[in-house]
Amino acid sequence: MDELFAPPAYEWQRLSPRYRSLRLLSTLIVVPIVFSIPAVIVGVVSGVWWISAVIWGIAAIIIAIRALLNQRSYRAWGYVEREDDLYITHGVLYRSLIAVPYGRMQLVEVGSGPLERAFGLASVTLKTASAETNATIPGLPPAEAARLRDRLTELGEAHASGL
Amino acid sequence: MTATPPPDSPDLRVEPASADPRSDLAPAVPGAPTVKQTERPHPLTPFIRGWLVFVALAFGLGRELIPDGSGDNRFPVTNLAWLLLLILAAMLLAATAGFVSWWFTRFVIDDDELRIETGAVFKSSKKIPFERLQSVDLIQPLAARMFGLAELRLEAGAGDSTTRLRYLRRSKAAALRDYLLTRAHGQRTRLSDVDSSPTSAFTDLAARDHPLVVVPPQRLVLGFLLSSEWLISAVITVLALTLTTTLGVSGYALTGLIPLLFGAVSLVGRRVVAMFRFTLSESTRGLRVTRGLTNLTSQSVPIDRIQGVKITQPLLWRRMGWSRGDVDIVGYGRSSGEDNDTAATSVLLPVATRAEVELALGRVLPAFDLGAITMHSMPQRPRWYRWYDFWTLHYGWNERAIVTEHGWLNRVRDIVPHAKTQSVRIEQGPLQRRLRLANVHIDTPRGPVNAVAQELAVADARELALSQLDRARAARTADRERVPVDQVGAGSTDRRAEDDLLAAFGTSRDRLLGAGGESEVFALDHRPDQERELVLRLYRSGHEAPLPTATQLRGLYEFWGRTDIGLELPVITDLGQRAGRVYSVDRRFSGRNLSPWLATAEVDERRTALASLLDAAAAVQRLPAPVPGFARLVGDGAPQTFPTLVALADAMLAGPTRESRDQLTRDRPDVAAVWDQLHRDLSARVVTPAVVHGDICAPNAYVSPRADGSPVVTGLGDFSPHTVTGDPLMDLTGAVAFVELEGYPGAAEDAAWLEALAVQRWGDAVPYWIGVYRRFYGFYFSNAYAFDPALYGWCLRQLAA
Repeated sequence: MDELFAPPAYEWQRLSPRYRSLRLLSTLIVVPIVFSIPAVIVGVVSGVWWISAVIWGIAAIIIAIRALLNQRSYRAWGYVEREDDLYITHGVLYRSLIAVPYGRMQLVEVGSGPLERAFGLASVTLKTASAETNATIPGLPPAEAARLRDRLTELGEAHASGL
Repeated sequence: MTATPPPDSPDLRVEPASADPRSDLAPAVPGAPTVKQTERPHPLTPFIRGWLVFVALAFGLGRELIPDGSGDNRFPVTNLAWLLLLILAAMLLAATAGFVSWWFTRFVIDDDELRIETGAVFKSSKKIPFERLQSVDLIQPLAARMFGLAELRLEAGAGDSTTRLRYLRRSKAAALRDYLLTRAHGQRTRLSDVDSSPTSAFTDLAARDHPLVVVPPQRLVLGFLLSSEWLISAVITVLALTLTTTLGVSGYALTGLIPLLFGAVSLVGRRVVAMFRFTLSESTRGLRVTRGLTNLTSQSVPIDRIQGVKITQPLLWRRMGWSRGDVDIVGYGRSSGEDNDTAATSVLLPVATRAEVELALGRVLPAFDLGAITMHSMPQRPRWYRWYDFWTLHYGWNERAIVTEHGWLNRVRDIVPHAKTQSVRIEQGPLQRRLRLANVHIDTPRGPVNAVAQELAVADARELALSQLDRARAARTADRERVPVDQVGAGSTDRRAEDDLLAAFGTSRDRLLGAGGESEVFALDHRPDQERELVLRLYRSGHEAPLPTATQLRGLYEFWGRTDIGLELPVITDLGQRAGRVYSVDRRFSGRNLSPWLATAEVDERRTALASLLDAAAAVQRLPAPVPGFARLVGDGAPQTFPTLVALADAMLAGPTRESRDQLTRDRPDVAAVWDQLHRDLSARVVTPAVVHGDICAPNAYVSPRADGSPVVTGLGDFSPHTVTGDPLMDLTGAVAFVELEGYPGAAEDAAWLEALAVQRWGDAVPYWIGVYRRFYGFYFSNAYAFDPALYGWCLRQLAA
């Protein structure tokens, strides 16, 4: 089944195992906040608190699903540097494989938010002229992120071609 | 080190308000830092911008004032005086803001840079590299148009906002547009050299621009009436009116209809008024779209900046075979309105017939035949959740581009050239996973084109994605190889367009006979009905104004054809322009080109041939002069006469030395003395003007065997911008001195032998004058430092003598 998303002739590079903890923690922080705001507003304005309870219930289910799929989501991530393109795959329910030719890269960004820093992780983002090229690799050890950035920049220059 | 600031220091500087912008031209002291001349837009700009604000306000308020049945008008009529005051205040404010922004806006567009400085408090200076320009638009709102002004709008690629220059005189804006487009193509020209013919005030087309498609108003209106957007709002209106009338509550319906009416009016505005007289034309610098009834918009796009094409066919247009074409241009996608009134749009063709679509596609993607592509169908598996359009999903590709197709109400075809593929994605949702299907996305910059091959079988999806990456890579590599070189003489050549052009003449790239600085020559098939063999000459597009040059040459050749000087001269039998390239069909010279022949011949044969080259050079002066006196016969403004030989020489040398002056001063510190000596010599020369070929060298000569087998020069080709009426000794010098440029061993000895022969024939004064004209040619070809080091080395040797 997975031959659709297998890398051609290479093995996927995996993210840092710490990415699992990062993902779990950010789910536990972000989902309650996002759902609590409407829940509290609805409760205070209408006084019908059972609606809020339903919203919180949905939040709990989402957290549970994300927690259950955490390991599979981590395993779904992968990237590989080929001679001419970078491949990235991710997603459990909605699966995706993107291939970005080095010659089309316009920008390589390394980012690390406070949570990521706490886990000693960083992410690398590739930008092309297309907004649809959403090529981000999260959960990399900073050294690997820096190596990837330098490598990609170098390859990008070597392959560069005009728009 | 001196204390002078570096020349670039005024980059962020705005001149003091009192400074006259013209006063800071060329520095009086050589070597002093040059202060660039910056310009302001046209002084009427603030008024026009104030007027536009007034129109917007009047329209907006008018909308509020129209009784909409709700009974609570926000501005009762009693307050009209206040209202007028308010409008006046707003206008004053807008005019003041317009004035301030005009005062602090300065721009430079010259041979080195494109820079715009704006801002009163927060100053900003924006410099755009020419090669990053994606499109150059000329926009004339009605108010500006009445004053003959236009806005210049530039797109410079992803991640950069639109740059606007408003307002400029229309002719100036058009000239700048032509220059910027030439530079965007990677060609190096000077602003003053850009051949910008005046364009019509109504169509913004110059005489030589070639309209490809003109959309007639009837078709535009009919197409609009049959478009789904219009039909849907019309049906809603009719339904609402009938329903409310039968219920007897039509008053409520009218209230609801007013926004719909405004929507309809603006739709008509965008689809009919703004698209009125829509003309797609081909200029030498890409495609140009001109349109608009009140506001005239003219957009120019270099063809290789088009990232993709989308062809849409609404259901009701199918009967007429009409479609609409849109293109992806980097930068256009950002503007919110899909087809805003004045803003640049992505529309390639609003309503076009099948033939017109094919024509336009052929220009955007040469050698791409949409109809000939094998389209693959999808499996039937997704029919139960794609019941509405599963049978319309197709995809296909050829060696140029990939095509995806979907839709039934609107049949949409997205075409992406392989070279423009930004990235390739495979996406699979949970349902597709169960059915073993996937989508393949071909990502392009933001815009109307969205190429997705939907619902492919898994194996096909993977095959398509991986092979698309290979095709994209191959196309990028091919593109890189033909990237125009930014140097003199090597214009950009669109390889594919050129191949098409060659094919149209029944020849191909492997039948190249020779290439020079201005043109390339290809063999043509010899047809029995032709007296002589013919060749196709393709002028390099980078070379300045090839068509006028070739036209002048054709006239000269015809004129000289009546005189027999014992030499074959060129004959142009056909001359024209196709796919943006100037071509001519010339008579083929008999014999072989002298240059390669010299490299293989024995020394005795060589010298026999070279002696006859000297004769040929001497024979050129027997050609009748088309104008009396000293003159340049070919080129811009030719024939151009000069009172003296020195004036002619100065005119010939002005261009090359302007380019090479700095380089020459570095390599020959005493070059000024050489120059002065050349001037004194030429002033002293007494000569009757005669026709001078100007470039008598082996590559321009043709050699045939005589009856006894000895070689003789029988033809002289390639009269060119070097051709003048001047001193015949110029050609004698050329015949002698240019032999040194031939690469074969013994070339220098041959040149010396030839010079001795010239002395024998024409006397002892000859070496002196050959020395003078050697220096002349040393200056004349000195701009070769940029592209031909060997020739430049030769030039330096001449100047040292």
